[in-house]
Amino acid sequence: MYTFLLAGLVLLTQTAQAQRDTTITVTTTDALQFDQKRLVVRPNTRLKLIFQNKDDMAHNLVVTRPNSRLRVVEFALALGPKGPEQHHVPKMAEVLAHTQSVEPGTTDSLVVSLTEGAFPFVCTYPGHGSIMYGVIYATNEPKRLPPPDQDVNLPNPGRLADTGHTHHPSAGSGHPYPLKLPAVYRTFMPDCGPAAIAVGLPGPEGGQSYVFDAGQCRLRYAWSGGFVDNTDQWEGKGQRLTKIVGEIYYRDTGSFPWRIGLGNQQPPQFKGYRLVNRYPEFQYIVNGVTIYERIRPLPTGRGLIRSFTLSPTRETISFLAAGQPGIRLKSSIGQFRDGELRLPAGTKQFTITLSN
Amino acid sequence: MLASLLLSAFLLVAPADTISDYYEVETIDTPPGLVAETGGLGFLPDGRLAACFHRGEVMLYTPKTKTWKLFAEGLHDPLGVIAVNNRQLIVVQRPELTRLTDTDGDGVADTYETLTDKYGLSGNYHEFAFGPVRDAKGNIYVSLNTASNGAGVRDEVRGQYDALGRQGRMYACVPYRGWVMQLTPDGQLKPFASGFRSPNGIGFDAQGRLFVTDNQGDWLGTSKLYHVEAGKFYGHPASLVWRDGFPDIDPLTLSVKTLDSMRTVESVAFPHESMAHSPTQIVLDNTGGKFGPFTDQLFVGEMDFPHLLRILPDEVDGQLQGACIRFFDQGGSHGVRLRIGTNRLAFAPDGSLYLGQTDHGWLGSRGIQRIRYTGGSTGKDIPLDLMHMKLTPTGFTLTFTQPLDDSTARAIATYRFRSYYYEYHQAYGSPQMDVRSVPVTAVSLSNDRKTVTLSLADLKPGRIYELTLGDLQANSGQKKLMNHLVCYTVNKLKSN
Repeated sequence: MYTFLLAGLVLLTQTAQAQRDTTITVTTTDALQFDQKRLVVRPNTRLKLIFQNKDDMAHNLVVTRPNSRLRVVEFALALGPKGPEQHHVPKMAEVLAHTQSVEPGTTDSLVVSLTEGAFPFVCTYPGHGSIMYGVIYATNEPKRLPPPDQDVNLPNPGRLADTGHTHHPSAGSGHPYPLKLPAVYRTFMPDCGPAAIAVGLPGPEGGQSYVFDAGQCRLRYAWSGGFVDNTDQWEGKGQRLTKIVGEIYYRDTGSFPWRIGLGNQQPPQFKGYRLVNRYPEFQYIVNGVTIYERIRPLPTGRGLIRSFTLSPTRETISFLAAGQPGIRLKSSIGQFRDGELRLPAGTKQFTITLSN
Repeated sequence: MLASLLLSAFLLVAPADTISDYYEVETIDTPPGLVAETGGLGFLPDGRLAACFHRGEVMLYTPKTKTWKLFAEGLHDPLGVIAVNNRQLIVVQRPELTRLTDTDGDGVADTYETLTDKYGLSGNYHEFAFGPVRDAKGNIYVSLNTASNGAGVRDEVRGQYDALGRQGRMYACVPYRGWVMQLTPDGQLKPFASGFRSPNGIGFDAQGRLFVTDNQGDWLGTSKLYHVEAGKFYGHPASLVWRDGFPDIDPLTLSVKTLDSMRTVESVAFPHESMAHSPTQIVLDNTGGKFGPFTDQLFVGEMDFPHLLRILPDEVDGQLQGACIRFFDQGGSHGVRLRIGTNRLAFAPDGSLYLGQTDHGWLGSRGIQRIRYTGGSTGKDIPLDLMHMKLTPTGFTLTFTQPLDDSTARAIATYRFRSYYYEYHQAYGSPQMDVRSVPVTAVSLSNDRKTVTLSLADLKPGRIYELTLGDLQANSGQKKLMNHLVCYTVNKLKSN
């Protein structure tokens, strides 16, 4: 298969890489809202955003990486007393650009270079982030954006309450059957190794989803408000990544979570999964111990219940999980101390509840 | 004037005798909502067809009832399937070889077991995984595409990254890209043979020998069919970085002469344009005659042309070489034509040949078609076509499916040879080099009038002998020759 002419592609890429400059002014309305919630620019735009605060309280404006608004808001909240001196902006890779604190009647601006994608902007003042936000689309195909009243990247409580009823069966699944949650996609996912497994779980407000890295045998991140958009990945030759629909609330940014025995840690081996009521139960081997992991959503609220079953071993087993703002971890056996959960000898099963 | 009018009228009504008088193509309906970029086809013992598609669906088709049922979903660009039994399939997808089993008997797979994922993934789109096929001993083979410099690699890759393999147009910066891999029955994945670029076809001949197709491009002057044996290197250099004991160098720094001396050449070249642009799966006609006269021969799919290829094997000093000829060229009737884009082929228990088509961002089409041998009016009619082409010390013998009419068969002018070769070099493709016409010096016809023996003025190894056949006929002109062009790859000459 696959001889090919690249000339056209090269031209496209070169055109796309030429940056353009755009300036947009955003102001506030009352009721903790930006006056414009959806900005559309071309990919590879250097955008100057002027933020004019017409409200009677202070705000900021923070542009984040795609799908990262929620985590940035959590980390901003976790700044606590240190918040004001940092303008309520956490230092993390997900923050692409931000203004300072903008007092009523004043103006500040930021400059951000946007490649392609949906980049949230948000006020990260405590309490504001959950409702005062919008999105900048950097796209060559503005006609393919969802209508504003169906855009999950925009605040709209009425729309969220309706999710789950408005979906026409099979409409838009891209398959000869409706997409039924839980659902599994092996696909290329952002911020994960190339052997990725995206899993969508049922729940209110679009449900929750997570990515399991089959190369590294570990949960990478979780999000809420939707599952995935495979349009780009399915088109053409399969280079482009599947997109996350929703907001990431958890990322495992620590080292490999399992420490089994005291000796060398062998690379884990992924053995596959079985479906139990459509929920995947992953099987992987870490240092000779077979681990089965099943992940369910919390019955209420945002979070996951991770259930583990272990094959018998005499080795000591620790589960490592670095603490992070907005995330509570609770084990059914023992307690996390300094980010480490030591399993009592002979543990066959346990759960870790991750809540946000 | 009147005579010529009458003659024209006669020509118009005379039976044309085309391949569509012997074979029929039909299009299989696929379910609404399915984007049928077909990645794999295989038949279950119970006669159902397993098909996998680009968006991750694995579906089962019952030919009798013409119904489809979902068996598994969510796979990453699955490109091949083996049916193990009526409840179990083995599918290759980008990241791994996976066994799908319906353990509870509800008709839907519930376990997705990783049989192997011990190879690298850089995230480059061109790193397809093809196969799987299984030999008589239970070994499974998959072939791994190299990556393309049409795109980069991900920040995170799976497997060891080697920058020395990152050079060139098609590259192998993670393990075993450009290799055929063997999974033994005890689960060990072994690098089996190297030097492949885009090996989108893998299969066995009637003797159980492993063959792989590869696609014209850098280091491939034209597309080809390799007879693949353990440990050998087939010419595309990127994969060498993953060969045990290979020095820490960029393989592209080796001279063409050195690489040429290391490689095993193809058994059959598919001349670009006339035969193939993009050859795909290899399938053995094991139908015992249900598919017509070509029992035990290999068919090969092709992406860009509405024909298949048929292999006419030969063996010289124990080495395989031979010829290729088109099959079902421009075939079709009753408004249904053979489409381009044939990526996968599988023989059904009834002896018909199912074709899975795809485009996958390239030229091609989508869906499933099926070619059936009808046998014409008697059900046993055989088209006039070339059956065998064998090298002799002085030329070739051609054996046809039917006794030939004498006059054209015995005429030297009926047989026109050109010979040429394709350059082995880093550049993309190759023109036909040193093209010569080769005079035929003698023709004889066997007593049964099926075999023509030709003597040529000149025969040299390392060249393709392209034969254009004139209008051979059989059965007093009732049967017309189906295919006029055949290309024989002479690697070795035959001694007396």
